[in-house]
Amino acid sequence: MVEESPRCRGMRDLLPADMARFRRVEEVFRTACLAWGYQEVRTPTIEHLHLFTAAGTLSPQMLGRVYSFLDWDGWSGERVVLRPDATIPTARLFVERLQQEKLAKLFYIQNVFRFAEGDEPREGWQCGVELVGDTQPRGEVELILLACQTLERLGLGPVEVRLFHPGIVRSVLAEAGLERADQVRVYDRILDGDPTALAEVEERLPSLGAPLRLLFEGEGAGSAYLANLGSAFQKAVPQIAGPLEELATLVDTLSALGCRCQVAAALVGSFEYYTGPVFQFVADGERAGGGGRYDGLIALVGGPDVAACGFALDVAKLARLLPSAEEAIPWQEAVCVKPSSDRADVVVAAFGAIGPLQQLGLRTEVALVRDAPSACRWEVTVKPSAGGIGYSLYDRSKKRRRAFAKLDDLLAALEATGGGS
Amino acid sequence: MALKLALPAGQLARPTDELLRRAGLIVRGYTDGSRSYRPRLSGRRGVLLRVFREKDIPIQIALGNYDLGICGLAWLKELLTRYPSEAVVQLRALPLGPSSLYVAAASDSGLTSLDSLAGVPGLRLVSEYPNLTEAFALSARLPAYRVFAVSGAAEAYPPEDADLAVVAAGSEEEVREQGLRPLCRLLVGSPWLIGHRRSLEGKDLSTVLGPLMALEGGRQREDGLELPAGLAAPPGSPLATERPSTTVRLALPDGHQQPSAAAILRAAGLSCEGYDEQGWVRRPRSSLEGLDLKVIRPQDMPQQVALGNFDLVVSGRDCLMEHLLQFPSSPVEEVVDLGGGQFDLSAVVSEDMPADSLAEAVELWRRQGLKAIRVASEFPAIADHYARQNHFWRYQLIPISGASEGFVPEDADVLIEGVQTGRTLAENKLKTIDRFLHSTSCLIASKRRPPPGRAKLLSQLIERFRQAGSPPPTADR
Repeated sequence: MVEESPRCRGMRDLLPADMARFRRVEEVFRTACLAWGYQEVRTPTIEHLHLFTAAGTLSPQMLGRVYSFLDWDGWSGERVVLRPDATIPTARLFVERLQQEKLAKLFYIQNVFRFAEGDEPREGWQCGVELVGDTQPRGEVELILLACQTLERLGLGPVEVRLFHPGIVRSVLAEAGLERADQVRVYDRILDGDPTALAEVEERLPSLGAPLRLLFEGEGAGSAYLANLGSAFQKAVPQIAGPLEELATLVDTLSALGCRCQVAAALVGSFEYYTGPVFQFVADGERAGGGGRYDGLIALVGGPDVAACGFALDVAKLARLLPSAEEAIPWQEAVCVKPSSDRADVVVAAFGAIGPLQQLGLRTEVALVRDAPSACRWEVTVKPSAGGIGYSLYDRSKKRRRAFAKLDDLLAALEATGGGS
Repeated sequence: MALKLALPAGQLARPTDELLRRAGLIVRGYTDGSRSYRPRLSGRRGVLLRVFREKDIPIQIALGNYDLGICGLAWLKELLTRYPSEAVVQLRALPLGPSSLYVAAASDSGLTSLDSLAGVPGLRLVSEYPNLTEAFALSARLPAYRVFAVSGAAEAYPPEDADLAVVAAGSEEEVREQGLRPLCRLLVGSPWLIGHRRSLEGKDLSTVLGPLMALEGGRQREDGLELPAGLAAPPGSPLATERPSTTVRLALPDGHQQPSAAAILRAAGLSCEGYDEQGWVRRPRSSLEGLDLKVIRPQDMPQQVALGNFDLVVSGRDCLMEHLLQFPSSPVEEVVDLGGGQFDLSAVVSEDMPADSLAEAVELWRRQGLKAIRVASEFPAIADHYARQNHFWRYQLIPISGASEGFVPEDADVLIEGVQTGRTLAENKLKTIDRFLHSTSCLIASKRRPPPGRAKLLSQLIERFRQAGSPPPTADR
């Protein structure tokens, strides 16, 4: 069956207005990262599949959606993928090129590819940050502040930070005697809402006082909630104390810095990937991105045992959420240069005027199509005159036209009226 | 509009025919030795039947070319594991004998159980079912594994040329009979009746669906996949795969190329116990010291040379071209044209098409406003290359595994196919409009310099084949 549209399913075109919003997100994110001392990197679109298949990297569900294939020189049987995630390639980049650094503060703006059913997007763009080095707990604090600052500067505040620690769930499931692989399966069932999964775990923990529902379905606003969870479960699950304490330190610090925090025990699906606190950013009621600590990742891709954490924001979602004021492109402060005819000296003069006008800081365009409407505030008409070439300047906002024999005079007049910076 | 039912060729054909008979559906020209791919249903109007290789049936259903089809669960899951398609609906398991897929290792290898695979990097897995094999490797979290898709004879690969094979078998005992040790069952289930979702939603299929759904027995769960849990273990050492530096390994073809290859061996003065014009075993023995032989599918041979598993293979130029078009940097080349098994790779269309050349056909399709030219072939890389070279505007490549003559005109517009005498084409009302590659049997070797201990015997063997072979190959047009 041949698709009707010449565009591939799940792929998106970005029109000029979309691109303006997209670039706005990029620009704000990039500015914030540079200000916090992060450096930009870019990794290749194609990577080896095996980078993503080891336990603890991508979940099996995610692996089932990667675009993998044999490259033109793939006779060795080694498959490659269109990057399905940007963190793992950045970890690979660190291992290959930056291992000597005690602390690597990296950021990127990259696309990722994952299969989705129907016309759901199969290509996404991420603004991501990776912090490699022994930074806990300060690293998490910095990352969360950086993400919140980006979102607020985009006008998407106030941001709610939702926090989770996979160690909480892991310690409960381990105490119940489940092996690591079984832990993943049972946790997936709990997330899927399978009511029998919690009951099965509870059966394995006879000393449990409080129902596990309290842990998996409840949410709280801060360290008081964490203290309550400790009181309810620490006796039956002593290992829960460590993760709760880590979360409490983070929540206390962030709250003191003015962040709105919310703690939820069961937050992320791919908990195999994370080793420490996990966070999500909610803006305008929508999840705008997230991240966490993954201390095992660098070693999994062949590097030393170095801690790491990071986050990524969903560019397309942020672009969509941008307040409408961001949509307006300030075309009104632009100049449209119109040659009155196609005579060579007229066209040369029209294009020749563009450089000096741009030097005034003005956005410019040449009227390439005759009689096409323009949204520019100023219109410069270039026409033949007795002395060679003459210019007229029309100010739409004041509905006033003036004639000039020389371009320099026109530029001076424009500058005097506030045109240009 | 007629109801279109896809029926399996091969081993499943006879049981399917009997099952249809039990359901009161009498099929003529299916298993009675007919060479037609279009049998007929007695006493029922408006039903079109078509015979496909089992592997192609789920694809035809997913494409919507056929409303209903019957195929084994393994081929169905092979498609759906990689390409989850809402268009394919599993209607019912049929009361036909179940079959299984097993993950197996060589019986004398160190891989004795599923747990023994934990953390072993670089495992080589071979199978006719690459998508299910990939799903197994991902689920077991094997580190840096490699999957090799082969067109058959997967059981012949371990231990020299693969560490694990995913093979179809009726039981663990059958796996052992193939010289392998089963490590786990990956899938079990009976053949299924499947349908195209849109056909079910809007077309009356009751003529065939009713009797088949009313049959007793065969009910079972939809999935039959038994994927293992992740084998958590720190990365360990890879298995040793170094082969002896003094042994030359030669692969010989099974299938229709086998008689001519046996004749070539005889002409080259190589006597092989277990490989002659009458028959073959997977591991024939050569009287020549230092020469190791194995019989595999000719389609899979060029890749085996590229991997360094074999020094020489007797295959076809079509297979070499297919490999090189898929992997242009592969270090393999034809070293001797052996002359046997001659045919031309050709573009084939319906006899009724008013076109005598490819240019005329392309122009006609354009005039007819065809949205996309459907190109079916057992050689997808060659067909893809051919379509690009000849500026087909928009085309849809349909890789098929056989029974190709039945595809045109209903399910494809053009077939890229090996043509010898053209008799089969004529029987199926087809004609050739372009012959573009002359293919013969050929000896294929690696471009890499062989290890010193192997070089002398290797050059002696090539010389023997050269003397036994025929003139240099005709150039690709």
